[in-house]
Amino acid sequence: MTGGRAVTAAAAGVVLLGGSAAVAVAVAAPSLRVVVTWYPAAVLAAGAALLAGTLLLVATLRARAVRTRDRAQDAAHAAGREAERAAHRRFLARLDHELKNPVTALQAAAAGLEPDPDDGPRVRAHATVRGQSARLAALVADLRRLAELEVRDIEQELVDVAEVVRDAVADVVDQQTARGLARPDVVVTLPTAPWPLPPVRGDVDLLYAAVTNLLVNALKFSPPGARVEVRGSDEDGTVVVEVADTGPGIPADEVDLVFDELARGRDARGLPGSGLGLPLVRVVAERHGGRAVLRSRPGSGTSVRLHLPAAAG
Amino acid sequence: MGRGVTPDGPRVLLVDDEQAILDGLAPFLERSGLVVTTATDGLQALAAHAGAPADILVCDVLMPRLDGRALVRRLRGAGDWTPVVLLTQVGASYERSAALEEGADDYLNKPFDPQELLARVRAVLRRAVPGQPSLAAADVLVCEDLRVERGARRVLLAGAPVPLTPKASLLLDYLMTHPGELHTRERLLQALWGFEQPVATRAVDHRVAEIRRVLGDDAAAPRFVETVQQHGYRFCGTVRRGAAA
Repeated sequence: MTGGRAVTAAAAGVVLLGGSAAVAVAVAAPSLRVVVTWYPAAVLAAGAALLAGTLLLVATLRARAVRTRDRAQDAAHAAGREAERAAHRRFLARLDHELKNPVTALQAAAAGLEPDPDDGPRVRAHATVRGQSARLAALVADLRRLAELEVRDIEQELVDVAEVVRDAVADVVDQQTARGLARPDVVVTLPTAPWPLPPVRGDVDLLYAAVTNLLVNALKFSPPGARVEVRGSDEDGTVVVEVADTGPGIPADEVDLVFDELARGRDARGLPGSGLGLPLVRVVAERHGGRAVLRSRPGSGTSVRLHLPAAAG
Repeated sequence: MGRGVTPDGPRVLLVDDEQAILDGLAPFLERSGLVVTTATDGLQALAAHAGAPADILVCDVLMPRLDGRALVRRLRGAGDWTPVVLLTQVGASYERSAALEEGADDYLNKPFDPQELLARVRAVLRRAVPGQPSLAAADVLVCEDLRVERGARRVLLAGAPVPLTPKASLLLDYLMTHPGELHTRERLLQALWGFEQPVATRAVDHRVAEIRRVLGDDAAAPRFVETVQQHGYRFCGTVRRGAAA
């Protein structure tokens, strides 16, 4: 704080002195013609101007130092966030490392046992061990995939986002109908005028997985037959894909958590899912230099927008 | 005909430093008709294999004393081409290509379904020719006028380099080193993409389409990649090792 106060005091001093110097110069200027005749006054004015200039320079440097310090603080915050993410990744890697052997052992042990088919309770217990260890195995694999995705190289192809959206919608609709569910009402709006969506540079499979996850979520949390809208737009070099539903929405205190691994809302507990869908969407967006933004109103619905930088050129 | 179909069944040397995994897998593989011996690190495995040669090694990667990849290098360096399936610990694609480059015949990510391990072991045994290096250890793969220079990461058709994305190259490489074998989309996704969401199986179709387009392969009368309806894909050409460039 002392430093801050000293800077303020110095700045005030500079303003004061600078002001005096300006007055001195203003006074001296009309008399430039008489500089030769009134030498001491000109020297005084020039000296004052020089002093003021020096002090201004010092003040400017101080101010720049303050800005540099602020930037350093921003950089420190960014570094802090990065360190936090790195620590999080290390934790996930350790978790993965510590879980995969026990889960492999459980799966192997369950596969090695064959209960007497007439012994109902044992058959059921065996099925539980097999089913639950398979579920754990899938969870471990998904967590690892997500942690890997944050750091590994991703492909850098030109991707037609509109095609990704159309494919993802077609596939999700087909899957729902193949599972015997009512054909979902998904309305897709993609621009053709004045131009179609520009391409994005990145990994087509990851972008497909992100859009698919958003669609599956939107349908899962909507009442049967409710409409889901998918919109594409391009704004100032950013391609935006929005998936919007009229589901129950997410309570305000949970909105900030939905992009965290394994976060599952109170209202989602009765529904199947691993809590890794939206984190995947977030990581895919970030790896493409973009972001995912969620807006929700309880009772109205939820919209998630993927912002992706358009490919240069 | 593959090797090792002795009256007692193929001999598997199972190597993992986690005793609980050996305890679970060994009886499962034995019940499936294999003869299983176990070791808990690479050095122990080398000693066991020297004493009573196995037909195939199933080997963890991260182990004390001598790890799985070093074990493969030792075997191959000594001219021993016994097939090896690596149980990779680090799932990154780097690890997958490194496993192949060092001469492992196949790999599975932990945790895995024991049935999938059995399927891999059987497929590798079917392909293996005793005493000969497998295609997975070849630097150059050739099928008709298609030439894949694996070290240089180049694909040539009729002598001219063709552009394939890294993912399509990896897929072509995998299909060519496992010719004649049916691969489900799910298996290919798991092996090459590292994830298995059923919704993403279209990713495999896209890359197969790219391979066909770039290689001028007709899906209706394929020379290279054949679609097996409802199931997946198979490399249908005859693959041989090529002379180094």
